[in-house]
Amino acid sequence: MADLSQRLFGVDFQSPVLLASGTCGYGEEYADLIPLERIGGLVTKAVSLEPRPGNPPHRVAETPGGMINAIGLQNVGLDRFRSEKLPWLSENLHDARVLINVVGHSVDDFGAVVSGLDGEEGFLGFEINVSCPNVADGTMFGTDKRALSDLVTRLRSLTERPLVVKLTPNVPDIDAYARICEEAGADGLSAINTFPGMLIDVERRRPVLGNVSGGVSGPAILPMGVFLTWRAAAAVSIPVIGIGGIRSGDDALQYILAGASLVQIGTALFVDPAAPVQVQEDIEGYLRRHGVERLSDLVGALSLPENLPERG
Amino acid sequence: MRAPARSWARVLGNRVVARDTRWIELECPDVAAAASPGQFVMMGTGLSDVAAPFLPRPFSIGARDGDGRLGFLVREFGAGTRRLTRVEPGDELLILGPLGRPFHLSPDRAVLCLAGGVGLAPFLFVSAEARHEGCEVRIVYGERSGDRVFDLGLVREIAGVDPELRTDDGSLGARGLVIDDLDLGDRPQLLACGPDPMLRACVRLATEHDLPLQVSVEEHMGCGVGTCQGCVVLSATGEWIKSCTEGPVFDATELTWQT
Ligand SMILES: Cc1cc2nc3c(=O)[nH]c(=O)nc-3n(C[C@H](O)[C@H](O)[C@H](O)COP(=O)(O)OP(=O)(O)OC[C@H]3O[C@@H](n4cnc5c(N)ncnc54)[C@H](O)[C@@H]3O)c2cc1C
Ligand SMILES: Cc1cc2nc3c(=O)[nH]c(=O)nc-3n(C[C@H](O)[C@H](O)[C@H](O)COP(=O)(O)O)c2cc1C
Ligand code: FES
Repeated sequence: MADLSQRLFGVDFQSPVLLASGTCGYGEEYADLIPLERIGGLVTKAVSLEPRPGNPPHRVAETPGGMINAIGLQNVGLDRFRSEKLPWLSENLHDARVLINVVGHSVDDFGAVVSGLDGEEGFLGFEINVSCPNVADGTMFGTDKRALSDLVTRLRSLTERPLVVKLTPNVPDIDAYARICEEAGADGLSAINTFPGMLIDVERRRPVLGNVSGGVSGPAILPMGVFLTWRAAAAVSIPVIGIGGIRSGDDALQYILAGASLVQIGTALFVDPAAPVQVQEDIEGYLRRHGVERLSDLVGALSLPENLPERG
Repeated sequence: MRAPARSWARVLGNRVVARDTRWIELECPDVAAAASPGQFVMMGTGLSDVAAPFLPRPFSIGARDGDGRLGFLVREFGAGTRRLTRVEPGDELLILGPLGRPFHLSPDRAVLCLAGGVGLAPFLFVSAEARHEGCEVRIVYGERSGDRVFDLGLVREIAGVDPELRTDDGSLGARGLVIDDLDLGDRPQLLACGPDPMLRACVRLATEHDLPLQVSVEEHMGCGVGTCQGCVVLSATGEWIKSCTEGPVFDATELTWQT
């Protein structure tokens, strides 16, 4: 039997397949439909210090090969997350690893959420969201190298738990941002969040989304995600989690060959909650077919053409 | 309420019942066994194909029978419903359901369903079940024009009642809106489903006559099961709440109504 497990961030992940932030709620919502304890784990909806009301509707719509969303990081806030959501994760998930997605308006905001949760049980570490395109200051830290470095340095001083930074695709040099996170003490990177986009209802001559613009996700962004994961992974020696448009084992394997140690599935869950288990089984089948014993042997195992031209 | 299930459902039938509108029957025993009137399913074509509908689309359950069959009234609206209205017997659709909160009927009052267009769908199921339990049910059904009116024979067959028909242009049934000239003498409980302006008019009517009103709302959905927060509507206390899990049926007093 092929071995899908990997040891990362000091623990074992039984599978490389995780559920992406914002697409699996706080876990509980999918408990009837997805065998959470059989997959690698999940990343919670973003948690901010104060509750956030979110954007007016419409918040989601289909786009060719995917969707656009502007939820606006609606969430219950730190206190209610800790008292109402975390206990379920703590009681129900043991084999699946949990990362808490964290957002904030300022370094202090992020710090307060990390400190406020650090002593609790029921999760492995944090995924720091500096890359949400759907709120005014959502990518402030993700597109400013100095601010990103200060943020990660500060959060590193507040927790010994795994600290993963979720990068935005909306920069010309993701490798530089990746290195900054590594140097500031991050344990891993997630690549990528959604691409900013917009849809217009031509009959009404109005934007479709209440927030006017939103983030594009789903199969349409797969090639960009694979490329950016490849660039980020090549720039650092910490593990990278590949995200964007995954709906099959082959999609996930593209990320893994590009250098991702784990992957996350988002939009595909809405189409079919069976996707994570199917992707896992597809990867297992691939390992068997290719006589690969351990998944970790495939991470970054991409054959590149010789005399690779300078990329940029 | 039972947990929703995911299953591939075989299309058993698809027939035209009005312009751009089909009655689609699926073999879906798990959902059929668990469904209550007012609940919906997410209907899609799965992950292998990214053509619309890539995201599944919400549809009210219009009928179910003891043999595991479900019926849906599906009107062509955009690219997703264009494809869904063209399924053929033997095709398979990916179904998630049953989802959402159903209507709650109080046994001591007659039921008056106010249906705008394809908003008739949930009331076919409501009527069939409520009449089975001995409730008196009336359906007032409005359309823009006569060519959009569903096959009334089918409606009668499923709902067990003849709907009182209204069209905006008077080309079939009485001219007017579903809320015009209503007989409210028996002080019924009101159920409404249809376009937003119609729902707002129903809220005014219910307030004016001090009658209880439940509405089934429509908002764009991502997941249908409460994870994405895509489907929000404004609660009476000014919060965005999920229509897929806290709705789609709400007591009208639970929501904010822009006038
Ligand atoms: C709880 C519920 C029950 C419904 N029941 C029925 C029914 O029984 N019969 C029926 O014909 N229709 C029903 N609808 C409406 C139906 O879901 C939409 O007509 C359909 O989603 C439109 O998809 P489209 O691709 O054809 O339209 P497009 O306009 O091409 O879709 C673009 C995007 O908008 C979304 N969208 C557009 N209109 C609606 C809408 N009214 N509701 C939700 N999402 C929308 C689509 O999901 C998609 O993401 C129901 C909607 C809800 C929320
Ligand atoms: C409805 C929705 C909500 C999301 N919310 C968050 C969020 O709160 N935090 C975050 O870091 N990413 C969020 N994302 C981004 C996803 O985690 C993921 O990075 C992106 O959707 C790309 O993956 P996919 O193509 O598999 O969906 C959200 C995506 C969607 C579709
Ligand atoms: S549709 Fe996703 S939360 Fe309602």
